[in-house]
Amino acid sequence: MTKLSRRQFLATTSAAGASALLASPALAQSKELVVGTWGGTFGDLLKANVDEALLVPQGYDVLQEISGPVPRRTKLITERMQRRGSMDAALLADFDMHAAARVGALETLDAGNVPNYDTILPFLKKKTSVPLIYSAHVIVYRKDLVKTPPTSVQALWDPAYKGKIGLSDFLYTSNMAYAAVANGGTVDNYANAEKGVEGWKALEAKLLPSTEAVGQALASGDIWLTIISAARGYSWQKSGIDLAWCVPEEGAFPAVYEAGVPKNARHPEAGLAYMNALLTPDAQVAFAEKMGYLPTVKSAKISPELEARIGFSEAEQNRLWTPDLDFIMENQAGLLDTWNRILKG
Amino acid sequence: MAKLVLPAGLLVLALLGVPMLLMLRYSFNSFDPLYLMKEAFTFGNYARAVVDPYYQKILLTTVAVALASTLLTTLLAYGPAYWLARMEGRWKSKLTILTMFPLLVGGVVRSAGYMALLSSDGLINATLRGLGLITVPLQLLYTPGAVVFATVGIVLPYMILTLASVIESIPRQVEDAAANLGARPGTAFIRVLMPLSLPGVLAGSTLVFILCMNAYATPLLLGGPQFQMMAPAVYDQFARASNWPFGAALAFLLLVVTVALTTLGSSVIARRYKAG
Amino acid sequence: MKSLELVNIRKEYGDAVAVDDMNMTIRKGELVSLLGPSGCGKTTTLRMVAGFVAPSAGSVLIDGRDVTHRPPYERNTALVFQSYALFPHMSVAQNVAFGLEMRRMPRAEREAKSLEALRRVRLDHLAERYPRQLSGGQQQRVALARGLVLNPDVFLLDEPLSNLDAKLRAEVRSEIRGLQQALELTTLMVTHDQEEALTMSDGLVLMAGGRVRQSGSAQDLYERPADAFVADFVGRSNVLEGRVEGGSFRMKDGTALPGTAVPTARYYTLRPEKIALTSPDQGVPGTLREVLYLGAQTEYTVLLGTTPVTVIRATPGPDDTLARLRPGDPVGLRWNSADARLLDS
Ligand SMILES: Nc1ncnc2c1ncn2[C@@H]1O[C@H](COP(=O)(O)OP(=O)(O)O)[C@@H](O)[C@H]1O
Ligand SMILES: [Mg+2]
Repeated sequence: MTKLSRRQFLATTSAAGASALLASPALAQSKELVVGTWGGTFGDLLKANVDEALLVPQGYDVLQEISGPVPRRTKLITERMQRRGSMDAALLADFDMHAAARVGALETLDAGNVPNYDTILPFLKKKTSVPLIYSAHVIVYRKDLVKTPPTSVQALWDPAYKGKIGLSDFLYTSNMAYAAVANGGTVDNYANAEKGVEGWKALEAKLLPSTEAVGQALASGDIWLTIISAARGYSWQKSGIDLAWCVPEEGAFPAVYEAGVPKNARHPEAGLAYMNALLTPDAQVAFAEKMGYLPTVKSAKISPELEARIGFSEAEQNRLWTPDLDFIMENQAGLLDTWNRILKG
Repeated sequence: MAKLVLPAGLLVLALLGVPMLLMLRYSFNSFDPLYLMKEAFTFGNYARAVVDPYYQKILLTTVAVALASTLLTTLLAYGPAYWLARMEGRWKSKLTILTMFPLLVGGVVRSAGYMALLSSDGLINATLRGLGLITVPLQLLYTPGAVVFATVGIVLPYMILTLASVIESIPRQVEDAAANLGARPGTAFIRVLMPLSLPGVLAGSTLVFILCMNAYATPLLLGGPQFQMMAPAVYDQFARASNWPFGAALAFLLLVVTVALTTLGSSVIARRYKAG
Repeated sequence: MKSLELVNIRKEYGDAVAVDDMNMTIRKGELVSLLGPSGCGKTTTLRMVAGFVAPSAGSVLIDGRDVTHRPPYERNTALVFQSYALFPHMSVAQNVAFGLEMRRMPRAEREAKSLEALRRVRLDHLAERYPRQLSGGQQQRVALARGLVLNPDVFLLDEPLSNLDAKLRAEVRSEIRGLQQALELTTLMVTHDQEEALTMSDGLVLMAGGRVRQSGSAQDLYERPADAFVADFVGRSNVLEGRVEGGSFRMKDGTALPGTAVPTARYYTLRPEKIALTSPDQGVPGTLREVLYLGAQTEYTVLLGTTPVTVIRATPGPDDTLARLRPGDPVGLRWNSADARLLDS
């Protein structure tokens, strides 16, 4: 057994670090790759279509380190001072990834180190991360119960839907963006968002603790409309709920999931290989088919029928907001506080 | 022996103490949206936790739920505990094990069980509907009542076992003596059994009160997102707002209030019975 | 006047019969002892009188009133428990006043009466102490005071002396008897100690196996035992097995004893102190086996044939011929034939 230096020892105090140690060249032949990600369906899809389909054949030994997004983001930020981090690749929503990028925790990516980088759709290109999938948080509604299909964000404050509006507690960032836009603000300043949230409180909007709870409430008719990703709308539709969705004329909040490589990754080349694999058309198509998320690369082609159900028209695509991620990062704690105070206070 | 006890004791102390001290230190740091936490020495987090009416209300709800649950648990547990304590023969050990059985299943799983019981298409509503007593399901889930109900169900075994062991140590003849001297059952209970089982009531209710004050899964799953108690609020600060300093301050506020209330409660009850 | 009457009372526990068809009467102011070996049903009987055990059949009458179905707190009995069962959280004075409080006596009056009761047991100076601060004998006296302060219709004592050491026992024995007589308390005392029963009681009830074997005065049981069990249990007795045959009682080993009064007798009983030791030619001849010096008395074991017989005599003076007897010496035994009791069973 090789002797550990004090610094190495400190770097291995996390569980993933410990497993990385086992894979150090002296002990293991295969190339270790630790990926910080969500579990569940998402993790399973990654495992099947990225890890096993693409990376295992290249000799990588992929280890998923599953956690919630905030702890993962916190880890990226707090580990950046250490010589070695616990992850080789990390997946996060764009605004969380942005926070990690801002503190300089992430490796710069380009066509030089990620060959597929240039196939990324232009509006999703970032310097320190690659987009894995995207969709948008749109208005999803019960077709049979909502008589006039909504076209504007104002539908979410229509007194006719009193008690029937559902709000995912998790998506407070998107929900409050809608609230701001509906009241003369923008996604760059979230001005007047409180007004919109107070409006929801007055309309007895139902706050739901998880995405699953939103699905159940839509299915039972407890709620008639909500803000959630079009991808979710698609998968619930497939499960038999009579749903439709719309990108309001004012626009909708983009939902982009990204991946990046920590600067202090133990195996940076493995992390970069993972980035490249995520951008492979086959992997992208698999996510589209299973979860209803859209591919982020030009080269990925999904069937026209699927495109018709989950895709955005060019006009819709152009209406999607481009939120100021700096603003969100700096004000997220405050937004959550306002959200909690109004709806739970 | 001492050679073994000392290092073991130090290890336990370190395991318990170090994370607490770390949290205590964090609670004086300040929050930064970019770097999450900045070294500082500020009372700002505590000031906010104490002064802000939003957190005052959460703390108040927590104390109210914990008190109601503790009181209800004590009332509900006494009878079964007495019955178990005074039981003889092989059924006694079987029932004791049966009482302990729910403790083998985690609080989260049992809370989920209560969800299945109380939801709009759950067992209670389905039964009432089946009997034709209601047509629209009753809103049982996501109410304060649901939280108290499930909390009581979850902590009840602790209370029953604690009370039973104390009641068992009270000689039955003492109760017989009260009856023989003319005390009706109610009077005998208030004047003799109750004061003698007071140590058990105090130990049990202190334990249960602490469990209730720190309840996490039950308020989250049965109270719904609109119902706020301290433990989920602390978790929220750590896991959603990434505000560790404020989360740590809230956690210590909860700790201090819990310790203060249990100390106050036991001394008041003990004194009242000493005097009477 | 009959203060306590048990009529054909019976208690079964499952298949086991604890008390079997028992009849008993205590007149006002009398102390009757319930005597018998452990497990014979004494405590069960006492608890049926107090009301803690419901009889399977029969009735309990106190002062002529049928109380069989009254709960304990509606019977004016006072039970002194074997374990005393004082209330540990109350002072001595509060313990004694408890019964009066239950009878709704005004505070001043009950305090005066409890102090009076404590004075009777010479514990008034310890009124403010707690039970745990008292010795066993003092606790016993508090328990007595707690009962007698109520002036009960029936005073019940369960083995009142069993937890005291030998010296204290004699003292408390006379104290209880003194109080009982002074206050004319109708008392039922349970004991397995025949000496206790003989010295304290106006009447005795001897039980065995749930049944009454004989009841009457101490003299009745001692002088005229109804059967060999009674003869053996009350006082000491030589119980010799055999048969009446050809003008004498012949023991199993063939030795003949004088007396044929009951032709059907199977037992020949003789109190040790009724037998005189003589020379072999002056009585039934035997061999001295053992001499046990007891102080004022001496106990001799004599073999008649192969059967040991116990003889108790006043310890002889130094000049007495008896003083020279040694084990192995031939001796003769002589007794008044009126003192021998021949019993069928
Ligand atoms: N609660 C009970 N359940 C079953 N059997 C009992 C109970 N109480 C007493 N007995 C039985 O009844 C018999 C008489 O008991 P008890 O009255 O306590 O005897 P004593 O006091 O003469 O020693 C015993 O054989 C005892 O085992
Ligand atoms: Mg007994």
